[in-house]
Amino acid sequence: MIRKFLLKLLWLYQKFFTLLGYGSCRYYPTCSEYARINFEKNSLLTAFYHSFTRILRCNQLFEGGIEYPTTKDVQCHPKKLEIDTIKYWLVPTPNNRYYIIKNFSYKG
Amino acid sequence: MSPNQRLMVAVGLSILFFVVYTAIFPPKEKLDTQNPNNIVALKDAKKIEPTSTTTSSTDNTPSSVAKTASNDIVTVKADDFILTIDTLGRIASKELLQEKYNTKDNKHAQMIQKFATKPLFIRFMDEDLNKEAKRTPYTANVTTITLTKGEAKKVTLTQKLSKLTVTKELTFYDDGHYDATVKLSKEKRYFIYLGERPKVNKKEQMMAAVGALIYSDDNVLTIIQDGDMEGRKTFTGVQLIASFDQYTASIMYGFKKDTTILVERDADNNPLVYFDALPTMSFHGYIGPKNYDILKSIDPILVNTIEYGWFTFASKPLFAVLAYLHGIFGNWGWSIIALTILIRLILYPLTYKGMVSMQKMKAIAPKIKEIQAKYKSDPQRMNAAVMEMYKKHGANPLGGCLPMLLQIPVFFAIYRVLLNAEELQGAPWILWINDLSRMDPYFVLPILMGASMYFQQRMTPNNFTDPLQAKVFKFLPIIFTFFFMTFPSGLVLYWFVNNLFSMLQQFIVNQQFKNKEDLEKAIKNK
Repeated sequence: MIRKFLLKLLWLYQKFFTLLGYGSCRYYPTCSEYARINFEKNSLLTAFYHSFTRILRCNQLFEGGIEYPTTKDVQCHPKKLEIDTIKYWLVPTPNNRYYIIKNFSYKG
Repeated sequence: MSPNQRLMVAVGLSILFFVVYTAIFPPKEKLDTQNPNNIVALKDAKKIEPTSTTTSSTDNTPSSVAKTASNDIVTVKADDFILTIDTLGRIASKELLQEKYNTKDNKHAQMIQKFATKPLFIRFMDEDLNKEAKRTPYTANVTTITLTKGEAKKVTLTQKLSKLTVTKELTFYDDGHYDATVKLSKEKRYFIYLGERPKVNKKEQMMAAVGALIYSDDNVLTIIQDGDMEGRKTFTGVQLIASFDQYTASIMYGFKKDTTILVERDADNNPLVYFDALPTMSFHGYIGPKNYDILKSIDPILVNTIEYGWFTFASKPLFAVLAYLHGIFGNWGWSIIALTILIRLILYPLTYKGMVSMQKMKAIAPKIKEIQAKYKSDPQRMNAAVMEMYKKHGANPLGGCLPMLLQIPVFFAIYRVLLNAEELQGAPWILWINDLSRMDPYFVLPILMGASMYFQQRMTPNNFTDPLQAKVFKFLPIIFTFFFMTFPSGLVLYWFVNNLFSMLQQFIVNQQFKNKEDLEKAIKNK
C-alpha cells in the first residue's frame, strides 16, 4: 500500500516535477530512478535509507557517476525468459548483494 | 577521503550550519491568520453562542449581549491607535492609525470585529446575574485619556449590580498593551473572554492561518485554526492565549498557573477562548500588529504568537536572517536579494567544486560528443555511457539533486515569511513595487521571472525520452508565469534573482565548453 503510493509519487515526480531542475543529477541511474528501483525491490526501510543517503551524496562534494541500486533477495521465477521480458539484470556484487541493472530492451 | 567519510562531513556540515544558524538567530514566531469563511458581521453575532452545556444558557451568551449594544464610555488615544471601551466594560474597538496597516480598501485597520465577542467581556455562571449585568452599564472614572510616548494611564470601570460590584482597573500603554485587574466584591464564578480574532481584511490571503492559539508552560503551542475547533478543550498552566489573523492578534498573558483556559467552538467551528477567573484576577493584554520588535519589547513571551503555520521551524530562522539583512540595507526588497546571494555563497564551495571539475570536462568533451552521436537514438544508454565517462575522469558538470532539493524548503519558508511577517506588510522595493507581500499589480516581475526561466532552460542542455515531458518542459515558463502572478512580489523577486544567478553560472559553464570547441577548431584548421 505505502509502497504503491510512494512509487506513484515517484512516478509523478519523474514525469513532471523533475522538470523544474531537469538534468541536475550527478549519477546514473538518477536519484529518482535509483529510489524507484529501490522501493520496487527492497524493503521500505532499506529503500528509504538508500534513497536518502543517495540524495545526500548527490552534490558536488562527491564524484557521481554510475551507481546502481543493490538488493539482497533474488526471488523472481519468471515463466518466460526472453530479452524483452526481462526487466532488470541482477549482477552479483563483491559483498553478496546484487546490482539491479535496467534492461534497455525490456518492453512492458 | 572515501565517499563515506565525505558523506559524513557533508551531513555534519549541514547540521552544524543549522545549529549555528539557530544559535546566532534565535527563532522568532509569528502568527498567521486568515480565513475566508466569515463574511457577514451579523453571522458573526449569531455564531458566538457557546455550545457548552454546563456553563451557559442561551440568554447568557455573548451574542445576545453583542446585540444589546453598547455606547462607548471611554476613549483611549495614542499616537498609533484609538481604543474605546463600551458600557459592557469591554474593549469595543481599536483602530490602528498607521497607514501601513490599512485595509485593502484603504481604511484604518480595525482590530475588533463590530458584532463579536469582545475582549474583557465578563460572563457569570449565575444566569440571573448575567441578565442584570447586561442591563447595567459600567461607569468609568474618565471619558478620554491621551497617551504620549512611553506613557501609561489607568482607567477604572465599575459596574454596580444589586448584590455585587465589578471593578475593572485597566492601565493602557502607548505600545498597545494593557494591564488588567478585575475584582468582584463577592465570590462568584465568572469568565473573562479573550474576544474573537481580529479580522482586518474581509478576505484573508490564502494559506495564512487564522484562529486561536494557546502557549503553555511546557512551551507547547496549540493552534486552533478557524473552522477546525471540535468539542471543548481546557488548558491549565497557560502562559498566553491569543486570537489572531494574518498580521494582528488579541493576546492575553501573565495568568496565574492554575488559571483554567477554556476553548469552545462557535457555529462555524471557530475557536472561542475564555478563562475561569478568580475573584481578583490580574493579567495583561495586547491588541495590535504582531510586530517582532514591539512584541519582544513588551514581553518576550509574546513573540510566540508569531506563527508561520507548519513551516515555522524553517520560516522563523529565515525571518531572523531577513531581519538582520534589513538592519543593514534598510529595505526588505534588497534584503531578499541579499538573501539570495547569501544562499549562493553558502553553496559556493559546491559550485567551486563543480567549476573545477568543469576544467577537467574540457579534456573529455570530444569523447562525450562521440558518445552522444553514437547513442543518439537511445537516451538512456547515452546517459549511462556519459556518466561512466565522467566517473572515469573524475569530472562531473552537474550540480546534483541535493542543492536542487534544498531550494524547495528555502522557497517555501520565504513564502510563509512574506505571507505572515507583519514587518513585510507594505514593504516597498523600487519603482512600482510598493508592497512586497502582495502581488505585482502590473505583472512585470512574474513576466520577468518567466522570461528568465525560459532563457535558463534554453541554456541548459536536455534530452527527453518522453514527448509529453518535452512539451510540459517547454510550457513550464508560461505555466510558472501564471502561477506566480498572484504570489507575493517578494517571492517572485527571490525566484527571479535566483534564476539570474543560475543563468550566470550556466553561462560560465557553456562558455568553457565553447572555448574548448573553438580551440579544437583552431587546431584543426592549422
